[in-house]
Amino acid sequence: MKKFTSVALGSAAAIALIAGAGQAKAEWPEKPIEFVIPFGAGGGADIEGRMIAKAMSAELGQPVVPVNKPGGGGAITYTYVKNSKPDGYTVAWNSTSILTTTNIGNVDFDYKALDHIGQVAQQPVPLVVKAGRWKSFKDFVAECKAKPKTLKLAFAGFGSATHLAGVAMSALSGCQPIMLPVKAPDRRKMILSGEADAAVDIFFVPLRLVKAGKAQFLMVSSGSRNPAAPDVPTAKELGMDMEFDLFRGLSVAKGTPQPIKDKLEAAMIKAANSPDFSGRMKKLNLTLKPMGQKAFAAKLERSNANIVAIMKKAGMYKSKMKK
Amino acid sequence: MNPDILDGFAQASMMSSLIATGIGSLLGLIVGMIPGMTISTGIIIVLPLTFVLEPTISIALLLGLYVSGMTGGSFSAILLNIPGTPSASATGLDGHPLAQRGEAGRALGLAITASFIGGMVSFAGLFLIAPLLAEVALRFQSPDLFSLVFFGLTIICSFAAKSVIKGLLSAVIGLMIVTIGQDPMMGSQRFTFGQVNLIAGIHFLTALIGLFAIPQLVDNFVELIGDKKTRYEAARIERVLPRWADLKRIRLPVSIGAPVGAFLGILPGAGGPIAAFISYDYTKRVSKNRDEFGKGAPEGIAAPESANNAVTGGALVPMMTLGIPGDPVTAILIGALLIHGLAPGPLLFVENGGFAFGVIFSFMYANFFNIVIGFLGLRLLVKVLATPNALLMPTIALLCVIGSYALRNNFFDVYVMFGFGLLGLAMRWLDMPVVPLLLALVLGRPLEEHLRVSLAASQGDPTIFFTSPFSVVFLGLAALSIFWSFYAEHRSRRPSDGATRQ
Repeated sequence: MKKFTSVALGSAAAIALIAGAGQAKAEWPEKPIEFVIPFGAGGGADIEGRMIAKAMSAELGQPVVPVNKPGGGGAITYTYVKNSKPDGYTVAWNSTSILTTTNIGNVDFDYKALDHIGQVAQQPVPLVVKAGRWKSFKDFVAECKAKPKTLKLAFAGFGSATHLAGVAMSALSGCQPIMLPVKAPDRRKMILSGEADAAVDIFFVPLRLVKAGKAQFLMVSSGSRNPAAPDVPTAKELGMDMEFDLFRGLSVAKGTPQPIKDKLEAAMIKAANSPDFSGRMKKLNLTLKPMGQKAFAAKLERSNANIVAIMKKAGMYKSKMKK
Repeated sequence: MNPDILDGFAQASMMSSLIATGIGSLLGLIVGMIPGMTISTGIIIVLPLTFVLEPTISIALLLGLYVSGMTGGSFSAILLNIPGTPSASATGLDGHPLAQRGEAGRALGLAITASFIGGMVSFAGLFLIAPLLAEVALRFQSPDLFSLVFFGLTIICSFAAKSVIKGLLSAVIGLMIVTIGQDPMMGSQRFTFGQVNLIAGIHFLTALIGLFAIPQLVDNFVELIGDKKTRYEAARIERVLPRWADLKRIRLPVSIGAPVGAFLGILPGAGGPIAAFISYDYTKRVSKNRDEFGKGAPEGIAAPESANNAVTGGALVPMMTLGIPGDPVTAILIGALLIHGLAPGPLLFVENGGFAFGVIFSFMYANFFNIVIGFLGLRLLVKVLATPNALLMPTIALLCVIGSYALRNNFFDVYVMFGFGLLGLAMRWLDMPVVPLLLALVLGRPLEEHLRVSLAASQGDPTIFFTSPFSVVFLGLAALSIFWSFYAEHRSRRPSDGATRQ
């Protein structure tokens, strides 16, 4: 019986081989997968990326090796993956940066130059202030409006996601702060020291300062309130028509065969829902929200239109896409 | 006594934690020694391990790596004149000449001893007055940091060796190179010529490897095809532990280096190199043996080594008390702890005080392992000098290529490294000092960022630099430093002018 199965399997494999490359690729992955993280070691993108890469290794049966290729707000990673062989062995750990670094004109392509596998997680962009300085977002805006160009608002860097959220928030609330581009750790220090009055930041890292009673969130940019900070109102509740999330997911080179993309998608979603990974995400207060190719494509299109609109309004849109 | 302190001490003293600290130390010494392999690279290598290890053990491993990495950088600077880390480039100024005189063992011993003292001073600061220090760190705002970095740049003049003008030129080249890449405020691309790889600018470690290693390799090559003896003699060791006389000599430099390093460590962005160079420079000015500096003075090794190891404890202060990293390495440490749901910061002492003090005591043990493993490995290390050039050279060349690639996993950086090698050779041919260029590369970015953030905050009003006492003090020191350099050059030139006339 055993012999029969192996013969049957063998001939099936032979037929599959003859049937063509599409079938042969069913055995993908045959070698380790390079998992490219667009930011440096130790940051949010790096921590989350390394965790999902580890969980995906277990799903795919091949090592998924994280490699940091920082620079240009993700430009270096996206260019590298875009130019890689479309065989699914080079994967980009994407983020909102794939929409910002392209539209700001760091590279001469847009997000559509890559194929996207899906999203793993997302987090809102909060407005962070020193604890006790203002009671609510309304008080903040009132002071900001009363004294235009005096309050200082720190964000990550020109054209970054936190910058765009800050620009949109200022425009919609009619507030005119001084915008200060400051790198991540210094930004939190500036809030504590009072050098900056407010900061637009990622969610889960400053959350620690909020829980320690040193800082306070005045609003979050997402569509719904975050369970880790349930008292903080959303931008929409405050009358601002904006919805902004920082997402992270996977992208591969354009033209990667559909079966490989499907396999990556399945592995990514399974890895994201694995108890180990989801447990760690919960510990970090990140919202796990896995979605596949279709849903993510729709989300990217929506977010891109949103970002282009904010950038155009602020005169920052410089896409160098070859038309 | 706070029970958390005892608990923390017990956690750090567990056999498993101690073993982890020791392994970390060993790894740190190795990655520190290899040019281009930074402490950050070493930490990234062991990071996957920390996912599965207990948090107490993970942090012990990482702290061992951090502390010894700082010391390891000085080994290659002393033995090969190729600093393993930027913080160690000041150590090479006197360490390498001493090794060339055949006293490599003495130079290494001094470096290890000074590192230990620096590390322990910063441990004392971290353990005893961390909250106070964190308060001070918060007082330092962008204008103060700008003035501090500017002061750091002015000490370039005293590394200019023969001519202040050539030193300044070298620094200007460095500052020009820093402008390559994305503008920190507006995000626009400067001098990138459409090259994506240049958007992030030039990494100063890539430049460091090229500037120091390539000319050294060329030297060794010339030596190899010339006469073959030289190196073997350099490897003899008389004794490993420093002599009493040496210990007495390094009292002054260490008492300058350790506090300077610990203090600069708590300020984000200043870090190791600037602490090392400032304390080297200051020690040189107040030392009786001023003329020996640059020729192998023990003081010239002890000052920067105690300073750069004191930076580690300093950088842990804002990390532990505020949750804000003091340097790139502590940023990765925070990331590694976050994975375990343990975020360093004010809350950690309340929620998990035992663990928080465990981190501090692990840092203390890391310093002990650093000195012990350093001295044990010393005899082996010195053998590097006895390695025939035909073997040593290709190894170093290979490590330079790997190191410059590994920094950002980008092969473009390897070409940049070779480009800087050519620049280093050209500068040597022109008799221009390399150290000012390196310092400008390290300090250029923070200088520009702090300057422009300050000016943006003040809406373009430059008087913001005179509104805080810290800023005024540093600007004053900077003025003094510039004045002193020209005065010293003027004074040293007069007699020699007379001599040529005769």
